[in-house]
Amino acid sequence: MNPRKLLRIARWEVTKNAGGLDRRTIAVVVVAVAGLALVAPVVGVGGVGVDDGIYRVAVDDDSQYDDVVANDSTFTVREASSRDALERGTVDLWIGERGVEPADSRKGAAAYEELRESASTYNNQQLAKEGNQTAAFPVSVTVQFREQASLNTSLGAGSGNSDGDDSPATDPDDDSPSTGGDDSETDQSGTEDDATGSVGDDDSTADGNTGGAPPGGVTGPLSEDELSGSPADINPPFPFQSLVLAFIFVIPLNFLIQAYGSTMLSERLKRRGELLLVSPVTRLDIIGGKTLPYFAGAMVTEGAIAVGLVYVARGELGGLISMLAIMPLVLLFLGATFLGSMFARSFKELTFVTVTITVVLTSYAFVPAIFTDIDSLALISPLTLVVRDLQGEAIGFQGFIFSTLPPLLSALVFFGLGSGLYREEDMFDQRSISGKVLDALAGPISRPYHVGVMTMILIPFVFVIQLLAIALLFATGDLSVPLILVVVAVVEEIAKSLHIYASYDHNRFDATARVAIVLGIASGVGFFLGEKIALLAQLVGLQNLAVAEAGLSGGVADVSGPVVILFLLAPLVLHIVTAAISALGARKNRRAYLLALAVAIAVHFVYNFTVVRSFV
Amino acid sequence: MIEAWELRKEYGGFVAVEGSSFSVDRGEVFGIIGPNGAGKTTTLKMLAGLLEPTAGEAEVAGYDVSETEMRHQLGFLPEESPLYEEMTPKTYLDFFADLYDVDSAVARERREETLDDLDLEHRNRQLGDMSKGMKRKVAIARSLINDPEVLIYDEPASGLDPLTTNYIIEFTERLAEEGKTIIFSAHNLFHVESICDRVAIMNEGEIVARGDLDRLQDEYGETTYHVYTTVEIPESVRENGRYRTVVESMEAVDERREQAQAAGGEVVDIRTEQSSLEEVFLNVAQSGRPGQ
Amino acid sequence: MTIAGREISALSREKTIVLALIIQLFIAAFSSFLVVGLTSLYDPGSAGGEIEVGVSGDQQDKLLDAIAQSDSVSATVYESRAAALEAFENRAVNAALTARSKQTEQGNRIAVDAAVPAESLETTLIVVTLRDLLSDLEDSERSVRTEYLEFSPVEIADDPAGTGSDFTQYFSFTYTILLPLLLFLPPFISGSVVVDSVTEEIERGTLELLRVAPISLTDIVDGKAFAMILLAPLQALLWIALLQFNDIPISYIPLLALLVLATATITTAIGLLLGLLTGTRQKAQLLYSMIVLLLFGGAAALPEHPATTAALLAVDSPTVTTFAHVAGYTLVAIAGYAVIRWYVGRLDPESL
Repeated sequence: MNPRKLLRIARWEVTKNAGGLDRRTIAVVVVAVAGLALVAPVVGVGGVGVDDGIYRVAVDDDSQYDDVVANDSTFTVREASSRDALERGTVDLWIGERGVEPADSRKGAAAYEELRESASTYNNQQLAKEGNQTAAFPVSVTVQFREQASLNTSLGAGSGNSDGDDSPATDPDDDSPSTGGDDSETDQSGTEDDATGSVGDDDSTADGNTGGAPPGGVTGPLSEDELSGSPADINPPFPFQSLVLAFIFVIPLNFLIQAYGSTMLSERLKRRGELLLVSPVTRLDIIGGKTLPYFAGAMVTEGAIAVGLVYVARGELGGLISMLAIMPLVLLFLGATFLGSMFARSFKELTFVTVTITVVLTSYAFVPAIFTDIDSLALISPLTLVVRDLQGEAIGFQGFIFSTLPPLLSALVFFGLGSGLYREEDMFDQRSISGKVLDALAGPISRPYHVGVMTMILIPFVFVIQLLAIALLFATGDLSVPLILVVVAVVEEIAKSLHIYASYDHNRFDATARVAIVLGIASGVGFFLGEKIALLAQLVGLQNLAVAEAGLSGGVADVSGPVVILFLLAPLVLHIVTAAISALGARKNRRAYLLALAVAIAVHFVYNFTVVRSFV
Repeated sequence: MIEAWELRKEYGGFVAVEGSSFSVDRGEVFGIIGPNGAGKTTTLKMLAGLLEPTAGEAEVAGYDVSETEMRHQLGFLPEESPLYEEMTPKTYLDFFADLYDVDSAVARERREETLDDLDLEHRNRQLGDMSKGMKRKVAIARSLINDPEVLIYDEPASGLDPLTTNYIIEFTERLAEEGKTIIFSAHNLFHVESICDRVAIMNEGEIVARGDLDRLQDEYGETTYHVYTTVEIPESVRENGRYRTVVESMEAVDERREQAQAAGGEVVDIRTEQSSLEEVFLNVAQSGRPGQ
Repeated sequence: MTIAGREISALSREKTIVLALIIQLFIAAFSSFLVVGLTSLYDPGSAGGEIEVGVSGDQQDKLLDAIAQSDSVSATVYESRAAALEAFENRAVNAALTARSKQTEQGNRIAVDAAVPAESLETTLIVVTLRDLLSDLEDSERSVRTEYLEFSPVEIADDPAGTGSDFTQYFSFTYTILLPLLLFLPPFISGSVVVDSVTEEIERGTLELLRVAPISLTDIVDGKAFAMILLAPLQALLWIALLQFNDIPISYIPLLALLVLATATITTAIGLLLGLLTGTRQKAQLLYSMIVLLLFGGAAALPEHPATTAALLAVDSPTVTTFAHVAGYTLVAIAGYAVIRWYVGRLDPESL
């Protein structure tokens, strides 16, 4: 690495493309961005009533329901002479002497429920106009969010929550307000009540969710420890606005990777990049130099957004934490795009690759962030840090590491695998994407122990995917644990064996059973060692969640004596056995590999399921 | 200046180059010839450090080809000149000069000098708008921007019109006279004959013949004898009042002489003719792998 | 047509279509997850279980009455707020409620102080349950005081079919978010692929090869465009079939296909124009995504957003405005494509 040359290439990358982007293009982009900026608030904050008029109602002008219907834009009034309209399917609700009658369909049922909610909203609106507010709203509520004693803070290998299926709050056994959990009185700041929508006594009581969106449209005060108002004003914490704000961080990245992918791929078209490869610069200089402008551009943009949003949200300068948190995400987008542009053979393929990256990474950043106020689960995504930073909450160092390290490591692996392909032999080759994937994996492998190292390198991905699976699946209730176990088995077995198959595909090793078993052992041991990254999860107490426990640690429970050794060794044996099974298949051909992989996954799942069943 | 020992390159299971060894001295022009797919480009790319040999080693200007320092001493011209179309010759050459650590004042001077030598006009036009020949000239200028000792040129004149081709061949000759060590590949043998000191012929990944042109002609070329007699003998052709017979060995010449004497005539002239490099090349290539 | 065939076969060979379908499936699954996951979080019934609250304060009897009516809350009575809070902190109860009487100028009001866990998976569930509970309490309190009120609240009985509010959200999400997403994503991708296809030929110089064949530039452009324009409604129909298969009835399918066809024609025309104008992928793609996003967002200024049009058709509630919009898009598409053809026709192929 030579910083001077890296910077020279970076400068070239900037000027080359600045020359490429003529004034006309820049003007159009500026106009488009300005237009988007104008449109975004309208679209983003749900101003567009996408469900306007989806339910058809027949109602008399003089009915009291008429006002309710008129008050909710999801309804559209249709003329109907008789109740028959319900049967004929021309209206979904018929409001007559017998009250409200829905059509006998899913739509009718949905419309009825919608009307019920609208009525409640309408009632609150009307009541707010009453002279006697005490009679109109005879109950006032103040909700305080308070810390409870923490469940089980004494960490240590294998001390997971042994009864994770019960809800933590109903544990009668936990009578120790133990070491880490003495902050129960810290959240009394609720009295200051700055940004909360304290309503009850005064005017605008009901700003109910006319849009039909999930509750949360109105909760949005950015920092809240307390809610108050009439019961209808109490909405669960759902940082909807913060999410919209956080979304602003992700959008620029999606444009960025378009341009970045293009420049990387164009280096490969027509062998353009060959001459850089033959000049006295290393490929790290080239990759670094070509990446730096995009990274810097992204960080400047994100920095400006962070500072701006923090200023808007909290009225002060800040945003450093948001920027630091978003950095691994930027690198992850760039790394994945870089690797993708090394795989793609044409711009068309690149488009599909970037769309995939956009979708997968955006969901990785988003889904967990939705649960920002709910659980440490949210910390899976670095965006959570951003949302919390915007809300002015404190972020622990451990949480920060847990949030940012896995994406950072994954980004490095992407760049590592991609730069392995950044050489004459692979760059200008027209192999298919799957072939390139195998190339990338087999490239660094020449000895059996390399297989183990490669397994360890792939672990950040396994970790990120499993975390994402937990975030996606934990809401599925009873099914979540088995589903997660399936994901775990599939992901882990693929991560342990795909590079073994790749190296057989590249004739790296003899196709004997003995060698295959050696490779299996190497991969299994590598995984067992690398898996310790999962201990990160304990930093933020994620293991208190049953699904996380199941997903991340193969279910090592509280046991004592000689059994401990068994439970330490059992996962090691499992990983070796399943990796060896896959390796035995991989040495033959693709079909044999897929078959063996399926067997390995099945074994892995059965093991995990048994262990989780008996101990969790 | 260039040494290669048993270079071997495999792609997957396919052997592109096998046991390739040769050395090129300072100031020498070395040509590699052979049909398409013979492994010429692969060999040159291994020398340029672009491809890592599967086995074997190579040195250029005293450095192993894997060392970055070697690249400072090397000018490489790939078969196709992929240029950054949005740049001008000026910005393009300056960019590479910077990567090669050439002082900017020196680079400017060298750039103008080389572009003058190459008769290149429109130095501020975008490369994408230039003709093939002009692009090739820019690519050659780029290979000289670091004043390298060794030049590796892959098919320097391929796909150009005859005028530009001649121009570029002459330019290469001049570079050789200035003392550059040049190794290049070609399948147009006319150029090789005119400027090469020594050549290697490759076929199916192996060097099947090598040496200076005379030796190759002796070894693989055929010498034919044109025997002119005063009388008609079998297989003879009448030519300017004499009869000409073409044979391929001295024994056959003796035989014809006896035939002529038996018919009452005599041999008046014997001329020998050597085959061209092109014929040598065809012979070698067609016979596949003749014993060395 | 030959070129359209070549484009389609090239696409299928590259398996990119499969990839595109997988991506769209992923997006669909992802967004359905969002709604199902979120609504189940917000709906106490679907998440299951009941919550335990600690009750105290002078008005606790009224609170206990309301709790007795509810099947999702059970109560333990504590003599003081402090005791209830202690139980809460020790996780003996999920929430601590204190109901006190509070004097105002117009009479008495019940003030409830609720403590709920600050950071717990159950917070959402608890808050929603408490909201319902306290709303019931509010209703019963209000009914005693109707004489002081001019407005009598509109009453609607509980749903006879027994579906919950999450069903409404799910229903509305399916038609207003999921379906438009599935319908409008293929046209977006189509245009993007056309940008790639055109700029790649220009950048690689293969357009010249095609031109040697006895066809005009317009034929080439038509070929590329038709392939992508036709692909979009096919994908859309596939999604519609999938939704139908999942018992989600979709009405006006031919009109929806027409809507997608028109949209795809518009996006493709934009893609073609940008590809030919700029000639480089980087510029064209950037401009394409910006402009299409802008148009889609800017469509909010129309009486009906395209997403709403699609939703209204699919859910069988279209109005005249809806049909007018579909007709309008079709006209814009035809006009737009005609403009492109005119532009290509007078374009000098050498300038590319």
